Amino acid sequence: MRNLFVRETGNYKTTYSNDMKMFGTTGAKIKALLIVIVVLSVPLYVTNYWIGLLTLCAISAVGAIGLNILTGLTGQISIGVGAFLGVGGYTSAILTSTYGLSFWISLPIAGIVTALIGGVFGIPALRLKGLYLAIATLAAQVIILFVISRWDSLTGGTAGMVLGRPTIGEYSLSSNTGYYYLCTIILLLTVMYATNLIRTRTGRAFLAVRDRDIAAQIMGINLFKYKVMAFAISSFFVGIAGALLAHYTMIVSPELYSFHVSIEYLAMILIGGLGSVFGSILGAAFITLLPVSLGSLIDVMAGFMPELYQLFSALKDFVFGAVIILFLIFEPGGLAHIWLNIKKYFKLWPFSY
Amino acid sequence: MNSILEIEKMSLQFGGVKALDNVSFHIVKGEIFSLIGPNGAGKTSMLNCISGLYQPTTGSIRYKGKEIVNMKPYNRTKLGIARAFQNIALFAHMSVLDNLKLGRHTLMHSGPLSGGLYVGKASKEEIKHRRKVEEVIEFLELQDIRHTPVGTLPYGLQKRVEVGRALALGPELILLDEPMAGMNNSEKDLMARFILDMHEVMDTTVVLIEHDLGIVMNLSDHIAVLDFGKCIGFGTPDDIQKNQDVIKAYIGEETVI
Repeated sequence: MRNLFVRETGNYKTTYSNDMKMFGTTGAKIKALLIVIVVLSVPLYVTNYWIGLLTLCAISAVGAIGLNILTGLTGQISIGVGAFLGVGGYTSAILTSTYGLSFWISLPIAGIVTALIGGVFGIPALRLKGLYLAIATLAAQVIILFVISRWDSLTGGTAGMVLGRPTIGEYSLSSNTGYYYLCTIILLLTVMYATNLIRTRTGRAFLAVRDRDIAAQIMGINLFKYKVMAFAISSFFVGIAGALLAHYTMIVSPELYSFHVSIEYLAMILIGGLGSVFGSILGAAFITLLPVSLGSLIDVMAGFMPELYQLFSALKDFVFGAVIILFLIFEPGGLAHIWLNIKKYFKLWPFSY
Repeated sequence: MNSILEIEKMSLQFGGVKALDNVSFHIVKGEIFSLIGPNGAGKTSMLNCISGLYQPTTGSIRYKGKEIVNMKPYNRTKLGIARAFQNIALFAHMSVLDNLKLGRHTLMHSGPLSGGLYVGKASKEEIKHRRKVEEVIEFLELQDIRHTPVGTLPYGLQKRVEVGRALALGPELILLDEPMAGMNNSEKDLMARFILDMHEVMDTTVVLIEHDLGIVMNLSDHIAVLDFGKCIGFGTPDDIQKNQDVIKAYIGEETVI
């Protein structure tokens, strides 16, 4: 019988098109299919509460992939993600609630509007690098939130706005399961797009800008164009995530898009792995589920130490910070790198190399 | 005379420092042209002006009779001017294949939309250019490392990939900034052969900066010598070897006591 752990070896590919396929082997095709089946069948065997959590993970993953295109791939740090989520959420809220447009039209418009605004705030990237750019994007965060909370006639000011769940014909996606499917399908599309982007001309140009911007210029890359493009593409996905989140929570208000949210998204891609699409998903799930698992841990420990409940919110921030520091020190490659190491280990198992 | 690049009365000034001072020379189409001179003479500054990283203070650069002095660097690539850097400027996290493909950036057309969808146009383009890139890989004998991230390669190979990235563009004019720096003799021989091949087989005009005068004299059709930003010699290798100014710059003056 064939050893299940041993794969066939040898490179039998004879054409370049075969070599460049995303799912080159039968094994890879089956794996991809399995992942899709598992993701789509999850609602059948978990509770409603978990479906809700997984929906949040999927939404954050879309946003994290967006941010990773900008920060991980192109190397432009942005700490204005929170505000861009807000732009997406508010655009969709205004279009659906005030103007009565359908969700299916307002979702892409929310993405496009956020992309435009992101592109505008990306213009300083031509002159600023690293920390200086980070501060410039912080300005985006502050300016956008200021506009949102003061433009009462359009955004409802600090009170925020109320949204509804989308409908398909007669069927409303008001159940967690329905909305879960919507978000995971959008996540799958985002993953496909980002993976393809990375391996084609635009993605290579982004990587080149990150690694050596002067050499990239000599290779014929217009730095300004590609930096602004990275901001726009990234903001598009962040905007989509913002709109999805708004329709999920069914409310938008300025404090939902604070600076803290920006840091959370940066943490997602740091912990997940910079420049990795799969890492963005892992990181998004990690950061979304961290408070939840911490909460249940405290529930268990409260039996011995009842005073822990009062410490919960402080403890959450503490663990959040500690996790980021630990990852930066011990695994800068993030969860994606840990996953690769595990895979490598089992490929060679039971030998060590 | 069929010159591909003409530098005329070009000066480059950084504050009070004259990096290049009234330099003029021309490069004939299809030749190997060398730029030599002691350290700090302004050789790399000259290449930076040609590829557009520096803006000369005065003077003109004509490529095939067309003035390019005010052209942006990324537009000069479209004209067919490629460059390999002295201190390796490869994209360390990308594979050799991706680095070379990036060299063909200006020849490809897929954008963020078609690239993200991949099906159809973008995938056809990727495959078409992969074929071209593989030709360069074969030419420079990089087959076994095509999927390796360049950051992990040894120095000599990185230098070769650096040349390969410039060559992937299929340039008419290739600027090589010390492609043999830090190499041992057999590696130098190999690189010299690549340079001769790209000149003879691919019909590329080569501009070479090199300190190994033996190689320069053997390879070049014409040589320009820079010293403290001034062009002190321009001609065939034989002319240069007899040029008193050049000998003075390199060996020093005989002082009679």
